[in-house]
Amino acid sequence: MNSASRMPLAWLAQRVLMMLVTLLAVITLTFALMHAVPGGPFVSEKMLAPEIEAALNAKFGLDQPVWRQYLSYLWGVVQFDLGPSFKYPGVSVNSMIAEGLAVTAQTGLLAIICVVALGVPMGIVAALNRGRWPDTLAMFVASLGIAVPSYVIATVSLYVFALRLGWTPAFGLDDWRGYILPVFALSGFWMSFVARLTRSSLLETMGQDYIMTARAKGLPAHTVMLRHGLRNSMIPVVTVLGPVVANLLTGSFVIEQIFALPGIGRHFVLSITNRDYTAIMGITIFYAAFLMLMILIVDLLYLWLDPRISYGDRK
Amino acid sequence: MTAPLLSLRDLRTEYRTDRGTVQAVRGVDLTLYRGEILGLVGESGSGKSVTCMSILKLLKRGGHITSGSADYDGTDLLRLSEGQLSRVRGDKIGVVFQDPMSALNPTMTVGRQVEEVLLQHRKISKKDARARAIELFKLVRIPSAETRIDNYPHEFSGGMRQRVMIAIALACDPDLLIADEPTTALDVTIQRQILALLKELRDRLGMAIILVTHDLGVIAETADRVMVLYGGQIMEEARVADLFEAPQHPYTRGLLAAIPDPRQSGGALTPVPGSPPDMRNPPSGCPFAPRCPKAMAICLTPPDLYGAGDALHLRPAQRTRCWLADPAVPAELMEAT
Repeated sequence: MNSASRMPLAWLAQRVLMMLVTLLAVITLTFALMHAVPGGPFVSEKMLAPEIEAALNAKFGLDQPVWRQYLSYLWGVVQFDLGPSFKYPGVSVNSMIAEGLAVTAQTGLLAIICVVALGVPMGIVAALNRGRWPDTLAMFVASLGIAVPSYVIATVSLYVFALRLGWTPAFGLDDWRGYILPVFALSGFWMSFVARLTRSSLLETMGQDYIMTARAKGLPAHTVMLRHGLRNSMIPVVTVLGPVVANLLTGSFVIEQIFALPGIGRHFVLSITNRDYTAIMGITIFYAAFLMLMILIVDLLYLWLDPRISYGDRK
Repeated sequence: MTAPLLSLRDLRTEYRTDRGTVQAVRGVDLTLYRGEILGLVGESGSGKSVTCMSILKLLKRGGHITSGSADYDGTDLLRLSEGQLSRVRGDKIGVVFQDPMSALNPTMTVGRQVEEVLLQHRKISKKDARARAIELFKLVRIPSAETRIDNYPHEFSGGMRQRVMIAIALACDPDLLIADEPTTALDVTIQRQILALLKELRDRLGMAIILVTHDLGVIAETADRVMVLYGGQIMEEARVADLFEAPQHPYTRGLLAAIPDPRQSGGALTPVPGSPPDMRNPPSGCPFAPRCPKAMAICLTPPDLYGAGDALHLRPAQRTRCWLADPAVPAELMEAT
């Protein structure tokens, strides 16, 4: 059976439809919540003249009945237009996301690469040396990475490497060295998590009967581990990688704040304090859509990893 | 009489676990001749599987061979390094495992799993390996071999998967096939087919087979010679016909009495009373003594294997590890406890 027949188009269509339904629910819920919160985008300490506020409300359609606002917003989303920012005149939410994402995606992508390229091998080395010093060392580091919160990693490493040793800049991404600390702080937790998961999953797989079969065939130990062990132990790792990719690519407000990076996470939190309705909704919808896309990709990866999996109706 | 293909001497294997050391095999001697089917029979924990897996050092985590030798074609397998052993595994000695559901890699086509052994041990191209795999599938009678070769294990039934396992084990024309409970996980009709296949393959290819089972029926049907194991030791060793005709050891008699007789339907089963010894702390004397209906005071001293064959007979006929079989035991020690 090839992978195409295990993923019928009807299943894919249904899956995409379900994603759209979920997205509609997300849009409706955020829209309702936005309108349930007291205050508005133009309420601030410095009171605006009532005429100006009325004019602004009219300009952004806030004087319309709520159902009409909802429908026109939906219409915009369908056209991939998340509307104008209420707080920054002339700036669209689309461009806000694009601009923030450009920064976040750079650090996020590097962090993902670290998680996969360092976390997985760390777990493999630990599993290969079970009970010996490389295992103990790797698992000690990984436990630290899980136990210590990212902002502690960020501030401590900032203090040590930027302030004391002066090896890296304290903020900004003007220099390649500027990436080191934010990427380290971003990936620390997930790298450790993936290392531990890889180790335990690989050890479990290496206890399976077919590993004994592979040994009985006379295959060298590393072939047994890499050809028969690794692929079968990657399913749980791929499962967590989907949400991890979504999480890292959409940024972390705390890390972006500490390193003063103008990323999407920072935009998100600022838009909440600013009550920038369209920005909050836009970024939430973007997050939701992105996460669902990642989960879909994970499900498609399962097909490739495990031939026993097939989607849709079975005969 | 030719030299034996394999002779195990005083094999001792233990498993170190968190809850103590399990003495799985305690001094097993085994002689196997070319083309012979030797059955190893015993209950769970008797050491039968560990004995045959020790030959290739295919032990699970914690397993250690503490003494003994395994002379195979002039080489002591137990002294080989892991790298040297891997040239024997799958090439000169093939292995078939108990559960064909879990012994095949679920994410690899069965064809690749067969080709893999060939590519490891033979200098052949991928194309030739594939052709040979198809040939092997035909040998073990998997229907439509040419298309089935690209299937994954989950697309096969249990019996067909065991045929795939046998194809893997036979890929490099081994002189010895170790079959560890090859039919235990299969239903009865499939069991018979697989046993018939193994026997037929032995007749055609001439390899020797060590057949591990807990089922005396399987032994009766398939093996030439049989060794009964209990508590990590050989209790009795005999030609199959002799064992069924004149079992010497009280344990063997108990096992034979426990086989249900189809002519007496509805009759109660006769189990061997008691349970096997705890091998972390095996009895110092005969391991079966605590369950033995004929136990005597002397049974607290470990008996040897007695019988024809330990002197000059090259092929041992029937040997029993029981004081009752020792002609030299003084009568006063024979009183029942």
